Amino acid sequence: MSDPLHTQLCEQLGIEYPVVAFTHCKDVAVAVINAGGFAVLGEAMHPPEHIRADIKWIRERIGDKKFGMDLVLPASVPEEKTVEELLAMIPQESRDYEQMIKAKYNVPEPKEAPNTHTWGGLDQKRALAQMEVMFEEKVPVFASGLGSPQFLLDRAHAQGMQVWGLVGTPEQAKKQIDAGVDCIIAQGFDAAGHTGQIGTLSIVPQVVDLAQEKNIPVLAAGGITHGRHLAAVLALGAAGVWTGTLWLASRESDVKQGLKERILECETKDAVFSDCVSGYTMRTTISPWHREWRKPEAPPVLKAPLQMMLAADYIQASLDHERKDLMFEAAGQGVHYVTAMKPARQVLSDLIEETLDVFDRLCGGDDD
Amino acid sequence: MDDSSDNDQPPYVTGFNGDYEGRRAACEGGAGVEGTKYAGRQYFVGTLTGHYRDFGDYPWRWYLLAQLTVKPEAYANEAVWCEEGSIQLLDENE
Repeated sequence: MSDPLHTQLCEQLGIEYPVVAFTHCKDVAVAVINAGGFAVLGEAMHPPEHIRADIKWIRERIGDKKFGMDLVLPASVPEEKTVEELLAMIPQESRDYEQMIKAKYNVPEPKEAPNTHTWGGLDQKRALAQMEVMFEEKVPVFASGLGSPQFLLDRAHAQGMQVWGLVGTPEQAKKQIDAGVDCIIAQGFDAAGHTGQIGTLSIVPQVVDLAQEKNIPVLAAGGITHGRHLAAVLALGAAGVWTGTLWLASRESDVKQGLKERILECETKDAVFSDCVSGYTMRTTISPWHREWRKPEAPPVLKAPLQMMLAADYIQASLDHERKDLMFEAAGQGVHYVTAMKPARQVLSDLIEETLDVFDRLCGGDDD
Repeated sequence: MDDSSDNDQPPYVTGFNGDYEGRRAACEGGAGVEGTKYAGRQYFVGTLTGHYRDFGDYPWRWYLLAQLTVKPEAYANEAVWCEEGSIQLLDENE
């Protein structure tokens, strides 16, 4: 039996294991890459100069190995409104409920008020500036969660860069494949954050079927935190896994210590799918904020971005004051298997060992 | 047809494409969620006004979709700017 862990993705990237870490922490990214996996660093929130500094920092630590970066390129943006106009749209009933929650749980004021004045509109300008850094630095892999404009694909390919697209439906996958992306990430409902409605086991084989004609590798995403998950999606035809929650509590992760402890405590049922944070449904670990907005007496959740404006003080205060009882983080349903604060290198090696155990069990092992 | 605004120097060039005016279209869009590092997909159906904005030198073109008949429940506005590649004309064969 050939090595089932040496997939098309490994060939395409020159990596040992078909495991991609999606992380917002560059220390995690470097640790995973140097341990034989691959990492994509989420840079959507950062200004261009910050992104350029991160690229330099990573390159100094991984040498010639490849790495990736993820930006949130918008595909649609609302008509601009000023922050004052938006604030005026928040009903008093909702403000009162937010104040009740803060009083009930003794939520302190944030040390620094959330900068809501950077919100709303003109995402394209920021995205263009971020993209320019990617091109200038020739980042080997550019991942985009909401589609890739044609000029981006053309320019990236002309510079020898790969473009990856994340999808939540087969229709989105077909569009991205036709556009010419180099890898598809098929994300299931089990995933953290804002996800589609199709489960990982259902979407992955459908996307694999669509991608095989053009020989494009597919990564499975959503709920992947154990070697049994990796083995299962390889059996579905995936060329690897895209993992996020797996690394949140790793030793290198810059997630607050209290939040790491919360993640280790969380069961799958605690990774709740709710619209109470941003107005759009997203999966996060549960918190008092979620519990209060579930109650029948809670006012209706507001439209975006008003609900996020309402939640901003609570979120910022929970982080500023490291209140473990208040904090939450986007996490997928695989959080059940995140049970120890290990170095990222060990997280990866444990995942691989678990996967090999599956293949040994199914195939009888090479030594028999 | 293009008319750059010099007053407050917006980061785009505006224009109008008469071929798109009044066309029904779907937009498989999405954007980052304000205040978070996350993004979500959003689906719209409406009528193109023909107005566009070009960002950058490529250009990166965006059309205004108004009179929305389908939009995410959480979407607060009545119109949306859609990236050209995210638009599908619905009346192409009519």
